[in-house]
Amino acid sequence: MRERITVAARGNTDLLGLLALLLVLLVAYQHYDSSLLSPATVTILSAQFLPLILAAAGQTTVMLLGGIDLSLGAVLGLAMAVFATYEARGAGDVVTAMALALCVAVAAGAVNGALVAYAGLPPIVVTLAASFLWGGVTLVVLPQPGGHVPAGLVEAYNNGWYGIALPAVAVAVALGLWKLLRTTRHGLALYAVGGNEHGAYASGLHTRGVKIGGYALAGAFTGLAGIGLAIQTGSADPTIGTPYTLNSIAASVLGGISFFGGVGRMRGTVLGALVIGLLTNLLLFTGISPFYQLVVQGVILVVALALKTYLTREAAE
Amino acid sequence: MSGLVSVAALRGSRPVWAFGVLAVTWLAAILFAHGFDSVANFRYLVQTASFLGIVAVGQTLVVMMSGIDLSVSGVVALSAVVCAKVASGTGGGATGITVALLLSALVGAVNAGGVVWLRVPPMVMTLATGTILSGALLVYTNGSPSSAHVPLLDSLANDRLLGVPWAFVLWLGVAAVAFWLLHLSRTGRYAFALGAGHDAARASGVPLGATAFTAYVSCALLAGVAGLVLLGFTGTSSLTMGNPYQLLSIASVVLGGTSILGGRGHLLGTVGGALLLTLLTALLTSWNLSEGVRQVVLGILIIGLLLVYARERRT
Repeated sequence: MRERITVAARGNTDLLGLLALLLVLLVAYQHYDSSLLSPATVTILSAQFLPLILAAAGQTTVMLLGGIDLSLGAVLGLAMAVFATYEARGAGDVVTAMALALCVAVAAGAVNGALVAYAGLPPIVVTLAASFLWGGVTLVVLPQPGGHVPAGLVEAYNNGWYGIALPAVAVAVALGLWKLLRTTRHGLALYAVGGNEHGAYASGLHTRGVKIGGYALAGAFTGLAGIGLAIQTGSADPTIGTPYTLNSIAASVLGGISFFGGVGRMRGTVLGALVIGLLTNLLLFTGISPFYQLVVQGVILVVALALKTYLTREAAE
Repeated sequence: MSGLVSVAALRGSRPVWAFGVLAVTWLAAILFAHGFDSVANFRYLVQTASFLGIVAVGQTLVVMMSGIDLSVSGVVALSAVVCAKVASGTGGGATGITVALLLSALVGAVNAGGVVWLRVPPMVMTLATGTILSGALLVYTNGSPSSAHVPLLDSLANDRLLGVPWAFVLWLGVAAVAFWLLHLSRTGRYAFALGAGHDAARASGVPLGATAFTAYVSCALLAGVAGLVLLGFTGTSSLTMGNPYQLLSIASVVLGGTSILGGRGHLLGTVGGALLLTLLTALLTSWNLSEGVRQVVLGILIIGLLLVYARERRT
């Protein structure tokens, strides 16, 4: 047992470092807000962190394929707008709205994937142009901030439903499904295509199909993030998605996902997203202007990447 | 014989394609759209194309060495906002312009430093500095940027030299200098070499640091210049005024026939790309479409154009 733990620890040194950082942040958080471990706070925090965790999961999926998704924020905003503009009255309507928003996000992801896979266009250019396209579609669906989410749903989501933290459950289900996928050949194919496209093709994988599937899956994660954000805030805003592009990349990078594809674990990304979320909240506690958030997020990204490059270079030499 | 060779070379050259598509689109606009056949319209078009064009020229320098600058939108806003604030405050227009350009160059140096020394991928480094910039501008202006009337910038953006808008003259000047830098100078050869094969170029002694600093600082400086001209044009500054230039400058470069992976392309193609995109934007505006629809159509057009002639050979 002990041996297994040391072996696991040796293979995951960067994850352990991230975990330690997270613990430090949690202790600091407890200092400012002593109700941290109460059910109410856990529910609120999970509602607040869900969009970033799921968006980062989407970004990770694309990055594992060796790509990058600069349209993530736009797709998130699109899903949010579709969900909130559908006039949902009862539970059935809410499910329809969710399915609709999810379908739109998956379709957007699949289009990105098809352009990357079949057109031979680099992912940066495709997704940058796509961010323009999806941002425009969002503005057509919802020109001004607004939309409507049933108040009961917002209440249950943010304050717990019979004592259950719905957002936490949603994240757990999404990550559980990812874990399940990882054990199938489709999950393996994702890593294979990202790690070595030629090798994967030569081994008989349909690399283009895998890419489209990966981008569509990323769209599903992003769509869920958008729906979560709409329920959390009770309405939709066509431009609110923008910061998620950078933050999802930052969370993935912090979590140890390689830019060149095929390397990294989803659990790292989740830890990375939690670190970024907690750090942002801590910043608010210290009382400095929320305007500094963007500055801090940018700095985190650069420092994380520089540290990672520095450490891996040390290890390689 | 040599004539045949040059025709074949022209047909295979992507920058020539850019001007070809531009000519066809322009002809179609004159024939089918209302108001595109007047001299005033032509003048207005090249004037507005200059704002994008100046940014795109800088972007070309960075893309050629297989970098990318996603912080140009932040720098455009930075230089306009800072210049407006300084000029409307105690300092004069000259101080404002100097401070704005110095800050822009500083951002470029930070980008280059991150790419060279910290070895952060250019896309992430510049995305991060862009985000930091927009946060810093929020803090600096407290959310409400000021407007300013700087006579020098005003005349630079709106006045004409022998009927040609000064902004366009400035753009051509900038393009000429960048042409020399990229295609005639030693630094340009280095940039091409780094773009074509990073490791091979390093192994043959190409100075990565100096080349990267030249490219990123020039790019940021040009984005700063564009911000200043834009400030002169509109008379006000805003935190989001640079946003369109992020995608459009990269699209101009790629539509101008430069490979987004670097090492292949021509600076003059970018001039054609910027003119083409401005023309398309003007066409869409003339059709009275809503903001969202316009963005959708432009996005689809850009993707379509990329599909037609900017595909990378599968490696």
